Amino acid sequence: MTTVQDLPQIKGVKNIPISEGYTSGHRTCQGCESALVMRLMIKAAGQRTIVVGSTGCMYVANTTYYSTPWVVPWMHTQLGSSGSAATGTAAGLASMMRKGKMHKEPINVIAFCGDGGGADMGLAAISAALQHDEYNLLILMYDNESYANTDIQASGSTPYGANTTFSPPGKETRIMNKRWKKNTAPMLAVGHPDVKFVATANGSYGLDFNNKIRRALTIGGPTFIHSIDPCPKGWDYDPKFSHELGMLIVETGLWVQYEIIEGELTLNGPSRAIARGIRKRKPVEEYLMRQGRFAHFTKEDIKIFQDRVDESWEKWWLPGVIPVTMGQD
Amino acid sequence: MSTVAVEVVYRGIFQRTLARNIVRSIVFAARKEGKIGTAFGRYGDSPERNGIPAKQFAVVADDAEELEEVLARYEPTEVDVTINVDDTMCKGIESWAWYGLQPINQLTKPNGTLIVTSRQDADSLVEDIHQKDTPFDLSIIKSTVSFSGLWVYKDDHTDARILGTLCNVCPQLFSIDSMLQALDEQGNGETKLASAQKAYDVATIRTVEPGEGNSEVPYKFELLGWQTMEEGLVIRAQGKGGGFRGGDEGFQPDRNEVFKKYSTRSMRPVINFETCIKCTLCWLQCPDTCFDITPDGLYDANMESCCGCGVCEAVCPVPDCVTMVSEADFNDNSSQWEAWQEDKPSYQQWMTALVDKQKAETRTHGFHHVGGYTEEIAASEDA
Repeated sequence: MTTVQDLPQIKGVKNIPISEGYTSGHRTCQGCESALVMRLMIKAAGQRTIVVGSTGCMYVANTTYYSTPWVVPWMHTQLGSSGSAATGTAAGLASMMRKGKMHKEPINVIAFCGDGGGADMGLAAISAALQHDEYNLLILMYDNESYANTDIQASGSTPYGANTTFSPPGKETRIMNKRWKKNTAPMLAVGHPDVKFVATANGSYGLDFNNKIRRALTIGGPTFIHSIDPCPKGWDYDPKFSHELGMLIVETGLWVQYEIIEGELTLNGPSRAIARGIRKRKPVEEYLMRQGRFAHFTKEDIKIFQDRVDESWEKWWLPGVIPVTMGQD
Repeated sequence: MSTVAVEVVYRGIFQRTLARNIVRSIVFAARKEGKIGTAFGRYGDSPERNGIPAKQFAVVADDAEELEEVLARYEPTEVDVTINVDDTMCKGIESWAWYGLQPINQLTKPNGTLIVTSRQDADSLVEDIHQKDTPFDLSIIKSTVSFSGLWVYKDDHTDARILGTLCNVCPQLFSIDSMLQALDEQGNGETKLASAQKAYDVATIRTVEPGEGNSEVPYKFELLGWQTMEEGLVIRAQGKGGGFRGGDEGFQPDRNEVFKKYSTRSMRPVINFETCIKCTLCWLQCPDTCFDITPDGLYDANMESCCGCGVCEAVCPVPDCVTMVSEADFNDNSSQWEAWQEDKPSYQQWMTALVDKQKAETRTHGFHHVGGYTEEIAASEDA
């Protein structure tokens, strides 16, 4: 296993690095939280980093003709292949260094994918990457809960009842997307026991986000972070509320912030306070009614949603994380 | 030959439904008079992004052959009427489809009409609109600019008012009666039809003479073509950045040379440097890397990068320290921190005036909460 960079945990928001690896030149939406996630990711990782991106908003909007916002080396890979591209890049670097064709130094390898490229199409490749524990790499899934680039088609990550191009609410049938959101991070943590770091993250908590990226890059071996990114286009809200909705999804208990470090789970921030009973969960209605994609919800729909969230906190074996309850014996 | 082409220039996603309603209704109304037409969005604008200018077209012809002649081209090369549904785009637009600024009236034919929804008067709009060699007419619909989102439409009758005005300024298209009939058949209520009729009755035009207006030459960029690209299709990365304005202190990231966000904004932040507590939140949470760090540890919003989302305003813990104000109030993209350094009292005065003006005429950017649009419409009717 190659060595890792010295990226200590950052103490306090004032110590977040000022250098930028992702600047202007991208044509993302106003208030794009995923663009913020790209920026924070590279801020924490530093300049000695290679980024590989699979198709999605963060590929298309960042690469208009002959122009780029990236300061660090960046390459596009196909929709489902963030896992294989990450492994290949890390293996290539290791091999070049072993053969003396490259100066020996730890270089961060980060592959990102959207929820469509990660939770849907690229799941197998990510799983394979997480089994190659001789390579240091991070796979970051930025989840805006739809195929947002191609104008909001439902993905496996789209929440129950949300309005998408594939699930428009009608007069007869109001709820067209009846699937509950795919629980990607725990699935990968449980399924790959040798992976040392799996976490959920959220751009609204900037310091926590930076530290999770650093932990993932320094712990050794393949790692995975699932980030929830409010999307003003597909969620239908005023772009200035990106940060606020990112906080609301945690405060309502719908999204749980945690990190699993070498098999040990720690809840972070508001999720931790909720689990300890220090803080009450906000009603999920406060979150839903702020978004146009849930504007068709009736009281009953909100109740179904709330009940599912309550159940995940009250009945699940690991609250909000693993949807398994203890049997009778 | 009597083909009539109309373009609607709109803010991506925010005004997509509005633009679609307009171009569709044009075609439906034309059919009432036995004409043929088609409505379409420009391919190069897809996928749309919130706020990035986009276009939809409606082309109406007497028969199918004439229509095909126009549609053989990728998009109309000139239009009889340009409809601009956000007055801040009068300064010019830079869409997905190209690099550099294009004047709002670029496609408008000689003696054609530019319809704008705005609360500004004709003179201040003409100041922003680029000069042309030929005269054109400007018709203003006095109303708050209508913004909504992808799923929920804010039905404030802006579409009906524009269509009513269109019938007045471009009578060769169709009569107002055909338009009212088309609107009725699409299931619009009587109040909406009344809005269209009223707009038709009160529409006025102001002729803009050649040479009148903004004399600035729109900026453009030359990019490498397919024969001149670097080996391996390598695209040069951005630089690392350095000290504020090239100095030793502070920090300023390098910025993309060929894409500036000037025309993506309909609002921009103004900053009260005197109440800033240097909490870093605006800088940290900005998705567009827009804040330069000044030598004194303040944050200067750089207008090369700002797309006007308003996250900085939302995260700032100090009241009125960061305020989003209308882009229409600006004629340049200069640094606010530099202006403040130069003359602090007059900067404070200028900033306070802008903030107060914004409070008086709130411009909103889409969905706030269920039922919010109804409240906004009621509030603007009261005003």
